[in-house]
Amino acid sequence: METLAFQGLVGLSLAMYLWLIAAGLTIVFGVLGILNFAHGSLYMLGAYFAFTCYGLWGINFWLSILLSLIGVALISMVMERFFLRSIYRLDVAYQLLLTFGFILIFDDAVKMIWGGVFMIPPMPDFFSGAIPIFGRPFPVYNLFIIGAGIGVAVGLWLILERTWWGRIIRASASDREMAGAIGVNIPILFTTVFMFGAALAALGGALSTPVRVVAPGIGAAIIIQAFVVTVIGGLGNLKGAFAGAVVVGVLTAYGILLFPVFELFIIFVVMAFVLVLKPEGLFGGVNQ
Amino acid sequence: MKKMTGILGVALLLAFILTPPVSAADLPKVIKIGGQGVTSGAHADYGRQMIMGATLAIDEINAAGGILGSKLEMKFMDSELKPATAVKNARYMVQEWGAHLLFGVDSSGVCMAVGPVLPELDRVQIFCHAATEKLTEDLVYKKGVKNIFRISVPVYQDSIVAAMIFKDSPEIKKWAGINCDYGYGRTSWALFKATLKKHRPDVEFVAEAWAPFWTGDFSPHLSAVMAKEPDAIFSTPWAGEAVMLLRQALLLGVFDKIEVWWQAMGGSVDVLEGLAREVAKNQFQGKLWATARYIHNWPETPENKAFIDRYLKRWARYPNYSAETSYSAIYAFKAAIEKTKSLDTQKLIKTLEGMKFNSPGGERYFRPEDHQAVYTVPAGKVMQNPAYPLPILGDLRVIPAKDYYRNPPFPPVE
Repeated sequence: METLAFQGLVGLSLAMYLWLIAAGLTIVFGVLGILNFAHGSLYMLGAYFAFTCYGLWGINFWLSILLSLIGVALISMVMERFFLRSIYRLDVAYQLLLTFGFILIFDDAVKMIWGGVFMIPPMPDFFSGAIPIFGRPFPVYNLFIIGAGIGVAVGLWLILERTWWGRIIRASASDREMAGAIGVNIPILFTTVFMFGAALAALGGALSTPVRVVAPGIGAAIIIQAFVVTVIGGLGNLKGAFAGAVVVGVLTAYGILLFPVFELFIIFVVMAFVLVLKPEGLFGGVNQ
Repeated sequence: MKKMTGILGVALLLAFILTPPVSAADLPKVIKIGGQGVTSGAHADYGRQMIMGATLAIDEINAAGGILGSKLEMKFMDSELKPATAVKNARYMVQEWGAHLLFGVDSSGVCMAVGPVLPELDRVQIFCHAATEKLTEDLVYKKGVKNIFRISVPVYQDSIVAAMIFKDSPEIKKWAGINCDYGYGRTSWALFKATLKKHRPDVEFVAEAWAPFWTGDFSPHLSAVMAKEPDAIFSTPWAGEAVMLLRQALLLGVFDKIEVWWQAMGGSVDVLEGLAREVAKNQFQGKLWATARYIHNWPETPENKAFIDRYLKRWARYPNYSAETSYSAIYAFKAAIEKTKSLDTQKLIKTLEGMKFNSPGGERYFRPEDHQAVYTVPAGKVMQNPAYPLPILGDLRVIPAKDYYRNPPFPPVE
């Protein structure tokens, strides 16, 4: 029993990275209607920026995270303003092609700037311990990640439900033309929402650096899991993204514990079931 | 008749174009060597070390006048650890670029895809890193794909060496495995279990976890196997993944609970560099054991010392095993071509079979039955040494190759 609880907690910390990525992916889809394949690459850039600030230049850990968010948000602004904006009216296939192209560009850019070799910065000292939970040591950093993930969830909820900007976002997500007609500046809204989603991905990447490897390709690797999360939870739906991330993270952990030989298989079976029984995802699609 | 001659002429011309200039008598002015390995992602250092090792050998040979007067030229491509990419690369290098010789390749899946294509390409490839025993045991020995040679020791090193060391630790009874979820990890774990069980019927294998390429977080694997309270852990993830796995194990307090951690390819230079801080703080408590397919501090021969010095001077890094195997592969080709005086694939195969040659890693011998190079690599504990700027393997255990290599006819692993 304690083993199961401990494994669940480990799964929850896995889930929080997925949540941060899926949240940005799903917000951008909900408002802009863009399925951003390169969203994982923004996660990768976040990791590289944070690594460079913290691991190479020795800047304070928290400041490094903030700088990486700003850096990625600026890059995503260019991406939205000069590239995505011209294809909103085109078929969805063009979005996929364009954003897929960005994956290749970002991967190669990273290889040129930082080289192909993996990098792992040191863990900040204040995170390097473990505290006993269910009789076994649990890393402080994983606890922090769980806290940060939940914090972002609460923060997003407050922003969307309680602020003026959040109301505009919800209005534009449910009816873009009507929102435009009543005076919302749609182009600026799109750019800011895209930057916001990108910053969430960057946060996931930046927080991953002390424990995960920083290397070209980590973005493409994680975007697949993020897609699974959004398919299970319902694309365009934030509650769904959170629930989907928890389902995928915790099931991965239990799969490894209980069915070590086909732990990967389990998640895709769950996804297939969701697609068959409730194709719009557990929490429905956009506008819910 | 005239038309006939014309067609014949064209046919001859075509045949001439299709056949690379490797007529039996003499060598082309430039011998082209096509290499490939992984140069991107968490495992990228292996491909880069291959490039560095091969480049050093090629520059040395060219500076000394080439092979029988022919200069060497290399092209190196990224296999991306994908079998399809690697096969495409091999075809491209031979059919478009005109490679006469091939070397390289990381990962079991990739080597098993490239190996069977070689007869069709009519080239010899010396594999420098891929570790599955199936490359030599199945493809060469059982299926007769003679174009394959392997200069690096296969999974015998990762698994049988570990079993032979730890069979003599009676206090270690419960083993758990954290392994790569592909050929290399599966076959290593199976060979380890089979060998250890033969010597120690009392050991138990209490848990196993499997991790595919691109595993970002090993915490669930670690907490799953630690739930079974093993005495020791056998682990095969390599490169950046090994570094992450071990650091996450420290976070989870694994080294306070176990007696031994065997990190098969933990003696690799990139892993040792990645763990330097933790080793300096003695966080592994002397429990971390590892090996490699060559380690730079063994054997203590003048050849090895000179190789290390030249390599350090050229690249300002210690050579990893993929660097040494690539370096030695180029010299093995040189020795074979000088003897054969030809680039003809069949003749080269005949020469390489049974060839003995010296290398930084010691004397190697290509077994004629399976084309596997036989040489010894020790295992040891990961530790600090004031003579080196990075952790090294110390307290070395040297088991002779003949005692841990599997031999023809290669009975199935039970």
